[in-house]
Amino acid sequence: MTTELNRADLNRTDPDRTGVNMVPVTRPRKSLRTPGSFPWFAVIPALIVAALFTIGPLVVIVIFSFMSRPPQGGGVIYEFTLEPYVNFLFQSDFLGNVAFDSRYLEVFGTSLFQATVTTVVCLLLSFPIALWIATRPEKIQNVLVLLITIPFWTNLLVRTYAWMLILNDNGIVNNAFAALGLPKMELLYTPLASQLGLIYTFLPFMVLPMYSALAGFDFRLAEAAYDLGAKKTTVVRRIILPFATPGIVSGILLVFMPAFGSYVQPVLLGGGKVLLIGNLIASQFGDSRNWPFGAALSVIILIMLMIALIFIAFYSKKSGKKVEISL
Amino acid sequence: MTMKKPSRVLRLRDFPGIGPIAIFGIVFLYIPIIITTIYAFNDGDSALIWRGFSVRWFGEVAQNANLLSAVWVSLQIAVVATTGATIFAILFALAVDRLRSKFSGLTTAILTAPLVIPEIVLAVATLGFIRMIGLTPGMLALILAHTSFCIPFALMPVRARLKGLGTDYFEAATDLGASSWQLFRRVTLPLLTPGIISGAILAFVISLDDFIISNFLSAAGATPLPVFLFSLIRRGASPAVNVVATLLLVLAIVVTTITFLQSQRRSKQNA
Repeated sequence: MTTELNRADLNRTDPDRTGVNMVPVTRPRKSLRTPGSFPWFAVIPALIVAALFTIGPLVVIVIFSFMSRPPQGGGVIYEFTLEPYVNFLFQSDFLGNVAFDSRYLEVFGTSLFQATVTTVVCLLLSFPIALWIATRPEKIQNVLVLLITIPFWTNLLVRTYAWMLILNDNGIVNNAFAALGLPKMELLYTPLASQLGLIYTFLPFMVLPMYSALAGFDFRLAEAAYDLGAKKTTVVRRIILPFATPGIVSGILLVFMPAFGSYVQPVLLGGGKVLLIGNLIASQFGDSRNWPFGAALSVIILIMLMIALIFIAFYSKKSGKKVEISL
Repeated sequence: MTMKKPSRVLRLRDFPGIGPIAIFGIVFLYIPIIITTIYAFNDGDSALIWRGFSVRWFGEVAQNANLLSAVWVSLQIAVVATTGATIFAILFALAVDRLRSKFSGLTTAILTAPLVIPEIVLAVATLGFIRMIGLTPGMLALILAHTSFCIPFALMPVRARLKGLGTDYFEAATDLGASSWQLFRRVTLPLLTPGIISGAILAFVISLDDFIISNFLSAAGATPLPVFLFSLIRRGASPAVNVVATLLLVLAIVVTTITFLQSQRRSKQNA
């Protein structure tokens, strides 16, 4: 009994560092005259900053995606056009002939592929990790969660750079190969390296929400099911997995979307060989100086994000668990 | 009285095959950062050819003027952004429940949007936006953008703490005749302090670590550390990068452990 209480307690007081958290739909009844609270207008300063540097930019990027590019230099000129979106699929030559162009669609496909592989591998690794942590004694659980959280808070560049050291031509892996008499392999600056970097970066983003969900699980239920004759796989599939699903859903969102728009890992680990949509966007605002096209690509990502959020809202309505973005 | 199959219950805590995968996963998370740390103590001039133990690269990094100025820029941004984000987060957390539930959900969603929007999108969007409102990349743009994406991190622990407290303390203080200001100063603020501290620490680290948004908003003379580190990494692996990476890793360990110990203490107090 005590363990269950403590587990619930830990779950409640531990700040959710994962960004997306699911809470039961039943909210505590709140009175409009809660003592100690501030008047409603105290929310305004935070909202102004967020409006200026979150909502404002998002509105601007949507507007930019329908604008024309100036003859030279970055920025936009305010002439409405659908050209940036057309450019995603078609290319027009000097004579004005419009032909289907699959280059950008391929970048989109590569991004989709790498993000999907990242999500699936993280999912397959995270479930055992989260389940294993959740079934340890409470003290060990805390230490293990700390161990998962440290990489989560380690600088993204540091984590990516670490793989450059390992996969380098003179890195640990190639040295080990040489010691075994195997030929040197080109590991760094390959799609595989970029993929590995993404999995490594986003693994904690999947483990933490999944553990959050499982930490509140009363394992006596699994024991009861087992005692009543269910096979272990059945217990996992029918009892534990449904309980972990909210964590899995938020984990998928937290891994897939950032991986899809990733920038650092493809540049540093993929070298020039991996072009993902995040890099394409960055280059449109950098060297290529085609802001409207970069904006259109960003809008495509935002639309995907909205679709994902709608799916999650749909899921939470059906399953009776409310998804709160963060907190 | 014979117990039926008691061993079934015991064995369930050890799902077959899960332990090895979990341990592999944790080792996988740590091997790269451990290797980077080891090579930070390399005496040689190459990042990867071991020439014996030395701390000389720590000394060289400490004397790199460009790097130090990048650290200084980052610290300035982080301090201002953390202060702003923390104040805004406290105000928001204490007032949001006064809004009608539809609005409180919407405002929370707006504030926490930076968590789910891919950073590259937010980065280019912010660049476009600041150009549109007549600002240029540089210190002010960096500070404002950092304040904005630090708010959710400052807010999370404060809200968690507030939820954990319930309303009893506040009701008791009001019953005993505390004015709103007294209530805030003598009851709310002290009770929220652990959450405020964790939130501020998280916001500070998030600001120090941010690369993508900073990269688009930095200008000559306003180059934050991660932007500088990125240019260093692109020039190739070097012992200096190993050292900076190790220092940032130490920062992550210290900060995570502090916030962790704090939440431990809190859950003990509540228990």
